[in-house]
Amino acid sequence: MSTLAAVVGIGQTKYTTKREDVSIAGLVREAAARALQDADLGWDDIDAVIVGKAPDMFEGVVMPEIYLTDALGCNGKPMLRVHTAGSVGGSTALVAASHVQSGAFKRVLTVAFEKQSESNAMWALSNPQPFSTHLNAGAGGYFAPIIREYIRRSGAPYDTGIKVAVKDRLHGARNPLAHLQLPNINMQEVEESFMLWDPIRYLESCPSSDGACAMVIASEELADKAARPPAWIRGVAMRSEPTMYAGREEVNPQAGRDCAADVYKQAGITDPRKDLDVAEVYVPFSWYEPMWLENLGFAPEGEGWKLTMEGATSLIDGGDIPWNPSGGVLSSNPIGASGMIRFAEAARQVRGECGEHQVEGAKLALGHAYGGGAQFFAMWVVGAEKG
Amino acid sequence: MSQPDVLHQAFELGFTYTRSTGPVVGRFLTELKKRNIVGIKASDGRVIVPPMEYDPDTAEELGEFVEVGQQGEIVSFAWVREPRAAHPFDRPFAWAMIKLDGADVPMVHCVAAEAESDVATGARVQAVWADEPRGFITDIRCFELV
Repeated sequence: MSTLAAVVGIGQTKYTTKREDVSIAGLVREAAARALQDADLGWDDIDAVIVGKAPDMFEGVVMPEIYLTDALGCNGKPMLRVHTAGSVGGSTALVAASHVQSGAFKRVLTVAFEKQSESNAMWALSNPQPFSTHLNAGAGGYFAPIIREYIRRSGAPYDTGIKVAVKDRLHGARNPLAHLQLPNINMQEVEESFMLWDPIRYLESCPSSDGACAMVIASEELADKAARPPAWIRGVAMRSEPTMYAGREEVNPQAGRDCAADVYKQAGITDPRKDLDVAEVYVPFSWYEPMWLENLGFAPEGEGWKLTMEGATSLIDGGDIPWNPSGGVLSSNPIGASGMIRFAEAARQVRGECGEHQVEGAKLALGHAYGGGAQFFAMWVVGAEKG
Repeated sequence: MSQPDVLHQAFELGFTYTRSTGPVVGRFLTELKKRNIVGIKASDGRVIVPPMEYDPDTAEELGEFVEVGQQGEIVSFAWVREPRAAHPFDRPFAWAMIKLDGADVPMVHCVAAEAESDVATGARVQAVWADEPRGFITDIRCFELV
């Protein structure tokens, strides 16, 4: 039997291309200190620390969690590192939540980060192995054929991805922490940007960012007394499946569908488009918005692109279910942190603290992350009310 | 029945990375370039060399730099009889924990000496600088007995 837990503090760095002024520890520390400040707490108030980041090979620091112990005030406390590729920011938040929901800890600090300017994420993603053909393509090269298959099956119009790329950057221009600030971006500019991995153009891809995100998760008793409105954790779910096996559904992965069904059931959601007010979903390449709209049950299979094209997912167009009002992964992508940013931005929405990118009156929000070859899924639903 | 051949192949993997030192370690290394050694004051008043970014007890951010002496005392040591290629000397030498004057914790560095019997706990040593310091810990080429 799990108990209720809530997000009581959130801290993020300003996402940017290069943070040469700080060490990796200094970057992580900045987000953690801001989360503590937001929660009106000090290092001594934290019972355990849960850290997440992408594979060690990305930055070439082996077991960075050990090197970060003093920067995160972990001396004498339990510390654990979570490791699920690109979804790690989300699953790290879920592990932190479960530490509190289990009743074992009262307040847990959770932090995820990436310093892409000092790393080699592009090539560390697809390293050559003996007896195998070298993919040599990075994430975009891996996902492009899956996107082409989605387009073939759904008959989605050519400019669906372009529309997502513009929409998320216009959202990002309303979020001062977003890396890309492109308030004047338009469809033509995206369409004319060079083709990286057909059908993914340069401006339909996420940037490489430096940044960290942190949250403090507290028990119900402590969250009731929190300094600022808590974001109550109403559902948590993780699912995984192998990258490749005969007959794997790669466009609409079963693990993603199962994960969504589980988290909706816990939160009492039967119609995600209607019941949720906002969603922060891991969309690193534009076309993943329509694909995940279907995978997450916001639209019937083959019709996700219709929501995108109608403006249903646009905050600026007054859509009924804004996706990624923060600008999403397409506007900021410190890989290890990107999933946690989705979870934290969902929490910020129900706390009503998003300013220019606030979805008015948001009470229930989905945070989503995926990783690997779209094989690891992590999701949570947070609410302004306990439920 | 014969065993089937099981294929195997060695392979190498390498990537390039960058590292930023940050304001604390960065300051320490920059000072070495000027032939200065700096530590940092911890919450309990101890001077830690090389400096740490965060207090080991309270986790608070540290920022009060203190210049320490270029001489100090050997707290403990290990004599290396047969140096390897990667070692800083091609003749026998000592790795030592050296507490610099004004510091409260020892720092590891190498000590040049003729014989193991010349090195002792409590012996005084002096930093020897590289001809052209570049902001590396090896700017202190070694310590030698005073």
